[in-house]
Amino acid sequence: MSTLQQESAKIEQLKHQSFDELEHVAGRERENLEGWIPELATADEVREALEKAFDYRGDVTVTLKDGTVVEGYVFDRRSGTSLTDSFIRILPSKGDRGKVNVAYGDIAALAFTGRDTAAGKTFEAWVKKYWEKKAAGEKNIGIEAEKLD
Amino acid sequence: MAVPISQMFTVASYVLKQKIKGRKRYPLVLMLEPLFRCNLACAGCGKIQYPAHILKTDLTPEQCFAAVEECGTPMVSIPGGEPLLHPQMPEIVAGLVARKKYVYMCTNALLLKEKLHLFTPSKYLSFSVHVDGQKEHHDFSVCREGGHDQAMEGVREAVKRGFRVTTNTTLFDGADPNSVRAHFDELMAAGVESMMVSPGYTYDKAPDQNHFLGKAKSRRLFRAILSNRKKNWQFNTHPLFAEFLMGKRNFECTPWGMPTYNIFGWQKPCYLLQDGYADTFQELMEATEWANYGAKSGNPRCANCMVHSGHEASAVDYGFGSLKGFIDTAKAFLSGSYQDAGAQKILNEWQPEHRGQLVQIAAPAAQQTELVSGD
Repeated sequence: MSTLQQESAKIEQLKHQSFDELEHVAGRERENLEGWIPELATADEVREALEKAFDYRGDVTVTLKDGTVVEGYVFDRRSGTSLTDSFIRILPSKGDRGKVNVAYGDIAALAFTGRDTAAGKTFEAWVKKYWEKKAAGEKNIGIEAEKLD
Repeated sequence: MAVPISQMFTVASYVLKQKIKGRKRYPLVLMLEPLFRCNLACAGCGKIQYPAHILKTDLTPEQCFAAVEECGTPMVSIPGGEPLLHPQMPEIVAGLVARKKYVYMCTNALLLKEKLHLFTPSKYLSFSVHVDGQKEHHDFSVCREGGHDQAMEGVREAVKRGFRVTTNTTLFDGADPNSVRAHFDELMAAGVESMMVSPGYTYDKAPDQNHFLGKAKSRRLFRAILSNRKKNWQFNTHPLFAEFLMGKRNFECTPWGMPTYNIFGWQKPCYLLQDGYADTFQELMEATEWANYGAKSGNPRCANCMVHSGHEASAVDYGFGSLKGFIDTAKAFLSGSYQDAGAQKILNEWQPEHRGQLVQIAAPAAQQTELVSGD
């Protein structure tokens, strides 16, 4: 899911046109979150930051109030009425790799430490690379899947 | 016949059983994603953008079988990632076939030829090869030159060895209906059993966010493609879903119709939209706020969705839900060719948006001039 802010282009489009009349659909606005360390001063800031962490296509690092550090991919969040009954669910990048539940209220710090794996991979980027390689005389040009270490 | 009679009978019996039991929400096809890893990096794909530790994780065969038992659908589709990269895929497929599930193993077919010997032909197994159009359309779509030739080589080899082979074509903005129809001709000539075609959805997670079809353009495009059909074209989509794509009828989304299970659990609410995960199928069905999804809900993320995972199940349910639905379905099966002079006019007048190599986005100006002059 993306936040309302990130959905703004589509929402704006739908204000003026019925979805049945759309010729093209506005894409979402992609935020550059890589490296971001959000302020978590208020409950709203905590919720907004964790919603973005859930949306993020890279690992994050969560520091708990007891000093425990969990690094991994946020694959789910469950929003309750308070920060103590709201949880993010993480698949850690290291260790036994079981699913970890963390209450919003237990989080002291959050950092978007992993690379955004979706960033910069548009059709335009692919076509630009294609023509560059074509001009250089290359054949069988393609975007390779990333190596997994 | 687009699908074997035994498969049609199994699915019809299953749906009728759900109706007799009075189940308002029942799944039709399990979308089983045993891995997200892929050997392509398509810009329009929203499935493979994960950190390496996620991409390296596989569902075990036992997890796959448990999900299938939990869900209980007669058909299992195995997308991904690229399923042929899963080291235990032959074991997973064999286990599902042994359970008499109709399996559609989705593949880009880059590895199909070399892995075919690991599988046994069966009426329960179909390789659903993703081919997004004629050569340059497909190569553009999968961001790899030569991808189409490799996929078609896999298709031909699988057909030759007696496997059921179907295809799946996803269309993005810039698709040319004349080319898509020629693509259908090529697929049928290659010996595929049947074809599926669907518009691309505005995946939140896809790296590319600028080439998704709106509903109006989708309907016009599909009307041009699917009207005035050739007699030899076989489709493995429900005919009323095809009518929905052509703008001849409307269906609301049935997001629980094709639930997804992957390494995170049961995806809420559907195959395309990722709004969190449930740990069990029952939890998925009970804890998901279904009213928040589908075009009618006003959810902007669902506004332009016309894809099969949400709407084909609606067509099937409609077909079994009333006498009118049954008659409409029977008519669609029997009438079939959708003669439409208006659609022919759209087709004749359709202007391809771009020409030249990598057809869907124009070449740099200097090179484009050369290509045009060489036409």
